[in-house]
Amino acid sequence: MFNRDFTQAFLRNKGAVGGLVIVAAIILLALFADLLFPGDPWDMAGAPFGHPFEDGLLFGSDMLGRDIASGIAHGARVSLLIGLTSTVVAVLVGVLLGALAGFHGGRIDDAIMRFTELFQTIPNFVLVVVIVAIFTPSLTSIVVAIALVSWAPLARLVRGEFLTLRSREFVQAAITCGQGNATIIFRQILPNCLSPIIVSASLMVATAILLESSLSFLGLGDPNAMSWGFMVGSARTVLRQAWWMSFFPGVAILLTVLGLNLVGEGLNDAFNPRLRRKRKA
Amino acid sequence: MSEAATPLLEIKGLTVALPEGGDRAFAVEKIDYTLNPDEILCIVGESGSGKSVTAHAIMGLLPKPDLRIAAGGILYRGRNIVTMSDAEQRKLRGHRIAMIFQEPMTALNPLMRIGAQIEEALTIHTDLDRAARTARVVEMLAAVGLPNPEEIRKSYPFRLSGGQRQRVMIAMALALKPDILIADEPTTALDVTTQKQILDLIKEIQREQRMAVLFITHDFGVVAEIADRVAVMRHGRVVEIGAAEQVLNRPAHPYTQALIGSLPHGRAGDGPAFVPEGEPLIAATDVHKVYKIAGTRVGGARTLVVSDHVHLTIHPGETVGLVGESGSGKSTLARTIVGLVKPDGGRIDFEGADLLSLDRDAFRPYRRHVQMVFQDPYASLNPRHKVGEIIAQGPVAFGMDKAEALARARDLLGLVGLEASAADRYPHEFSGGQRQRVSIARALAMEPKLLIADEPVSALDASVQAQVLALLAEIKTKLNLAMLFITHDLRIAAQICDTVGVMKLGRIVEIGPAAQVFGNPQDDYTKALLSAIPGQGWTPPAARAEGVS
Repeated sequence: MFNRDFTQAFLRNKGAVGGLVIVAAIILLALFADLLFPGDPWDMAGAPFGHPFEDGLLFGSDMLGRDIASGIAHGARVSLLIGLTSTVVAVLVGVLLGALAGFHGGRIDDAIMRFTELFQTIPNFVLVVVIVAIFTPSLTSIVVAIALVSWAPLARLVRGEFLTLRSREFVQAAITCGQGNATIIFRQILPNCLSPIIVSASLMVATAILLESSLSFLGLGDPNAMSWGFMVGSARTVLRQAWWMSFFPGVAILLTVLGLNLVGEGLNDAFNPRLRRKRKA
Repeated sequence: MSEAATPLLEIKGLTVALPEGGDRAFAVEKIDYTLNPDEILCIVGESGSGKSVTAHAIMGLLPKPDLRIAAGGILYRGRNIVTMSDAEQRKLRGHRIAMIFQEPMTALNPLMRIGAQIEEALTIHTDLDRAARTARVVEMLAAVGLPNPEEIRKSYPFRLSGGQRQRVMIAMALALKPDILIADEPTTALDVTTQKQILDLIKEIQREQRMAVLFITHDFGVVAEIADRVAVMRHGRVVEIGAAEQVLNRPAHPYTQALIGSLPHGRAGDGPAFVPEGEPLIAATDVHKVYKIAGTRVGGARTLVVSDHVHLTIHPGETVGLVGESGSGKSTLARTIVGLVKPDGGRIDFEGADLLSLDRDAFRPYRRHVQMVFQDPYASLNPRHKVGEIIAQGPVAFGMDKAEALARARDLLGLVGLEASAADRYPHEFSGGQRQRVSIARALAMEPKLLIADEPVSALDASVQAQVLALLAEIKTKLNLAMLFITHDLRIAAQICDTVGVMKLGRIVEIGPAAQVFGNPQDDYTKALLSAIPGQGWTPPAARAEGVS
């Protein structure tokens, strides 16, 4: 699937390459946070309310004198970790339920789809807030909460793909060859609907990061982890005196989400060459 | 027909360029032909020969910007269409030159009444008032042989069958009494009896109005039925053009000869008649299946009987053909036997065991004995798997060692006439005919006793069709397979089947040895089907030669 045509198509898309560069930079920042900014980001590093470049601090310090640049680097870890793990969980659940519903159809489909609709009708963010509030904020509860609200659209997408692919002749040939349901689902059908799954997963990471930031902004983030949302949230009271405290973490969120969305769009265009050509014409 | 008359349409050195990076630089290259008043010119060729491109160029329908006219001209009564302004071209199109398309199901706007769609052209090109237009629409609908034209004028396309829609398309094209009618495979999507009616209609209207018809087709039977002159195209060039009688009976170009030679001759097998011996391999008894279609509009739910208490037996080594028009239930019966469709009732006995009474696990061992080759070579192979893997999957599912299965896949590829190295390539690298060979290899990998072929060649070009049919016949004899062969093409059925069953509306109306069913049909429906085969007055020269020797 990731053959040369695909790579070329992706690389031709300037936005997608830009997004990939941003995402790669954020990942590197997260990986080398300890090297770039040794020490705990919660520790005082200079005088409180330090402007950018004061005391040798790149982005200044917050109202307790903590280094904002260090907070951003360490916050990248939390954001990416939560974004990726919750997406992985949501993809696993969504693909599995969608595949079962689409492959079997009938009553199983009905049951799974009604269950899916249950999650789609509750406003996402409210549900996340309620779950995290009930299970006390921690990395696990945040990941579970975000995954719980994100899998439903993916399940519907996968179900639709399976419904059309199920009646294709190669699937019928697999049935007449005596292959079992699991083999048919995972070896025959699933590889043929990977592209829309990958595309929506890349966009889901961005949504998950936004959700996590929003939670932290409301003070529902993991209290032990430095995160971008928390930095914006805690600095909002002094926004007029010290703009840099919320500005730089905000830019970090913006860039990450933008980068992921660009990559997602690029993947989508590269997977669907016909759409891509239409756009050019 | 008079050759001396000035040509109505003259194609002069027409070259249409393909976008860069394709298989070839031009879709058609230096095409020359003329269309005279009062004649039917058939353009015949295999897929990709460029026969439709020329017609689309005449109508200005080339997909922009991918295809463009690189050189040459299209002269209508001496005026070059290519250099005309858009407004002038529009005036010509629909008014003087009209076109009908292959797919009647999609050529009509589903949200517009039939009458309104025909009226559109009248509104644009004439200054008739409303009453006159309505009268003209009714007149046209009657002229194309539609019952109750007044009622059809007011109905929506979904109420009409495929054949009726094609009649509407013809009425639409003829509404302005054009000089030229371009018909692009107008009967390919239709059943054989409907095809005959449409061909008769086109011929009749052409004679009546003395128009010129440019008829594009891949079917030599259709050519023999209606053509005055024939142009044979290949790889974007006209290889032969001449009077129909001459091209059909004394083809000069080797390609035309090969094409005509590969046609199914439609005569029952030359060998001794098949004599069923011993117990049948498979016996379907009283199989019935009804589909319930949920009602959405007034009228409520409908039921569709696809198998109406069908009996069918197949003996080892026998080839049974099922013929019939679309919707006659022949595919459903095949899918029932292979276990893809569960019937509402009946028995299917395979070597004494009733397959329908078995549950999933108990049925599984029987799966390998009945294998299927599907119709669409582009949909029946998983695009994400390598060919070798596709063939090996079945045996692996039955517990064969993977390496051994892959090795056998290579042998099988040899058996179906492909190179062993094909195993390492993906399906999209193969042509339709090659894919169908892979599909056959996959079925054979299971060492079946019964091979079910559901329209295995209907998606293929005539010359490839002949190769695949020959392969099936060869393998069948070599492995002593029983075969259930489903087709809508009676010529093919006559050629390769021992026993033929004719299906209509879920019932087998006649079944017997091929020679008897085709030579001395008893049922009225069989007779109607046989008389609808196009081009019966013509015997391909190759077949005649065989007959003599």
